[in-house]
Amino acid sequence: MFNYNLQLALKSLKDRPALTFLTILTIAIGLGLYTTIKTMSYQGGQVPLAHKSKNIFLVQMDNREITAEEVTHQSRLVDTTYKDTLNLLAMELPGVEQTLNWYTYGILNVEDENINPVRATASVTSSNFFTMFEPPFLYGNGWDKATENNAEGVIVISKLMNDKLFGGRNSVGENVRIGTNVLQIIGVLDVWHLSRKFYDRGFSSGRPDNFFIPYTYAIANELPRIAGFDCWQADADIARSFRNENTQRLLNSECAWVTFWAEIPDEQIENYQQQLNNYIEGQKALGRFPREILTYVTNLDDQFSYINGRNDFMNVFSIISTLFFAVCLLNAVGIMLAKFMRRTKEVSLRRALGAKKKTIIAQHIIEVVIIGFLGGLLGIFVAYLGLQGMMNIQIYSSDYTRRLEDLQPLFALDFTMIAKAFITGISCTLIASIYPIWRLCNTPPASQLKSQ
Amino acid sequence: MDIKPIFLSLKQNKFMTILMIVQIAFTMGVLSSSVLVATDTLREWGMDSGIPHEDIIRISPEFFDENQDIGQALVKDIERVKQMANVINVAPSNAVPFTAENMINVYLTAEEDAQEYKTVVFHSDENIFDVLQLSLIDGRMLTASDVIRGEEGTTPENASQVMISQAMATALFGEQAAVGQTIWLAKSSDPVQVVGTYSNFMTGERLNGRGKSYQSIIRPQVKWSQARQPNYLIRVEQGKATAMLEDIIDVFYLERGRYINSSELLKRTQKRMYDGRGSRALTMLVISVILLIITGLGMTGLTAFQVTQKSKQIGTRRALGAKKSDIMRYFLTENSIITIIGLLIGVLVTLTITFELSEQASQNFMNLSVLLLTGLVMWLVNILAVWFPAKRAANIDPAIVTRSS
Repeated sequence: MFNYNLQLALKSLKDRPALTFLTILTIAIGLGLYTTIKTMSYQGGQVPLAHKSKNIFLVQMDNREITAEEVTHQSRLVDTTYKDTLNLLAMELPGVEQTLNWYTYGILNVEDENINPVRATASVTSSNFFTMFEPPFLYGNGWDKATENNAEGVIVISKLMNDKLFGGRNSVGENVRIGTNVLQIIGVLDVWHLSRKFYDRGFSSGRPDNFFIPYTYAIANELPRIAGFDCWQADADIARSFRNENTQRLLNSECAWVTFWAEIPDEQIENYQQQLNNYIEGQKALGRFPREILTYVTNLDDQFSYINGRNDFMNVFSIISTLFFAVCLLNAVGIMLAKFMRRTKEVSLRRALGAKKKTIIAQHIIEVVIIGFLGGLLGIFVAYLGLQGMMNIQIYSSDYTRRLEDLQPLFALDFTMIAKAFITGISCTLIASIYPIWRLCNTPPASQLKSQ
Repeated sequence: MDIKPIFLSLKQNKFMTILMIVQIAFTMGVLSSSVLVATDTLREWGMDSGIPHEDIIRISPEFFDENQDIGQALVKDIERVKQMANVINVAPSNAVPFTAENMINVYLTAEEDAQEYKTVVFHSDENIFDVLQLSLIDGRMLTASDVIRGEEGTTPENASQVMISQAMATALFGEQAAVGQTIWLAKSSDPVQVVGTYSNFMTGERLNGRGKSYQSIIRPQVKWSQARQPNYLIRVEQGKATAMLEDIIDVFYLERGRYINSSELLKRTQKRMYDGRGSRALTMLVISVILLIITGLGMTGLTAFQVTQKSKQIGTRRALGAKKSDIMRYFLTENSIITIIGLLIGVLVTLTITFELSEQASQNFMNLSVLLLTGLVMWLVNILAVWFPAKRAANIDPAIVTRSS
């Protein structure tokens, strides 16, 4: 019976091929755009370090003046002061690792005069960065605590910098200069894909940092600090100058500007929070932290669900693409109606000869599933083209400052998305076919046969 | 032709009719809002830059080695570049057209409550007029003897005579002659005298956004410090710029201890200026065009369905003497009625969307002729979509009636 139905379905597909093709095309285009947008929001919203994202925490404390505005969400609270950063780093808790981050940039150059200097964005951080955030190393590795404490000039560079300055060879042990400061390369990272660069709280996509240096070295050599300095009134006027000068004043100030991170095992989370409160109590005794105690210890999962929910661009496109898909399906309903209703005569004849409704339905469902399958297949191809297009638009609109290599993972169709697209394609086509099939099956037997 | 039977037929097929109207309204809404946003952006793309931006190269070097003498490098750079084949002229400048975002207020009086005028001040030397191909409108050109040069720390004096653009002159003085007037470049301080006006050129996005793209002032001074190093604007022979870019960068790298931060044709600077809004508008536009195609396909399918359903009626009409053209006209009219109802609802959708967008961007996107044109295009696409099934209907054999099926 199935074979017979299949044959009928195939025959019916070949009948009026233009309409069959129209149905498939309509579903494919709708599904293609829908999958494009869904893939973008799925890839862009993936939480990095999935295996431990719930244990990686951003740590924030409200050290602001009594007159400062009330804060009700973690994203609105200031970062950490340098004093507190050092004090927290000194706090020893079993299993807990901590690190810090701020943003700098520099002009990387080498002795070899044939190689032009490169301007690069960079992260200033501590040795734990590499164990906590697990960037992949191509050569060498991160620095250790002792090197950090001595403020030695060591540097970890990205693969891109290694390619540009050293032609891709193993450059560990060689020297590189940031401006006129000479540093020794201790590690070279491989391509490090993060859906969003979270550790500076910027959450930008496709703009990886190009080198990493110890914070002790950056302070000692007064490298520029690109940060928002949230200062008390006393320092507010000169806050901008902290980018390049007044280092000592900044370090002793109440200005918050360092992003502070902790990796805390489940069993220590409560304890960590407690220690944080104890620390603030202790500081209150010294006349700091004038406000009521307010801390936020937020893990990556929570930060990402907040950020993803606020992606207006993606949300708008998500709505548009869903509506768009709906319109396409409505269209498919119309076209399938046109196709099926031509067959009323044949169906009423079959019904009159004793075929059950079930058989008619089965035959058409097979046909619809084939249409859905082909629509899904073509739709995935459309989605692939759509994603390539969207990626090129992003590269273009960033004026080629973002690279294909860094953006590709954000626009990649993986197995999950392909499977989802197939299932969506077939099931939505089935839903769209309910009305046409219902109309067709309810043709009274023999009604079309009068006097033929 | 009688419209009444068409309405009767539409009433009979309520499901189909509503389906099509909703779809057309939705497509019209999305299509016309994105066309409106895109044309608004493109209109600005079409604005005259006032300079031969395809033949001008901008180079922005940055010394990282503080021991280098910027002033000396400046002299050497200009000497080297001028010696290159196909280079016409070069000028140092603190700002670059299309990305001059250093907007300031200037005043016509020294009073505390003087009215503010937005502008951008270019610090450059006498060569900038030749590089940017600015022509003299009134007064006199600035010459080499007007230019003050020196390191910021050791050169406290500033040029006291400036030239302003034609648009600036109109904004400041209206019909009055600008030459000889005094303007204050900061509140109650820094008065300068206008010695001439020059032809307009585009400054940057911040002034664009205020509809004041062409308001600028050129002050004849070239000053430098470690924090503020001048850019170079280089005009080359027509069409040679792309090929020369690499060579020019190499020439600038002859000076060691520095990095060439930006090196590009002004054409690209201009592209970047518009990118932010442009690419989003274009994405929307592409999606809308696909949507339009889908709607067209849907129309074709539905009309084909109608034709199949009505083949008997069509045959009867034909047998009763209706011409092929009558049948065609029937379907085209029916479709047009649906389209027009859909478009009217679509206009309401568009008004809502553009109102929201205009609020967000504080910029008016509404443009009646673009809206009408979009409607017309949609109507044409729908006619085209209906044409083929309608033609098939017209070809139905009148003899079909005799088969009485």
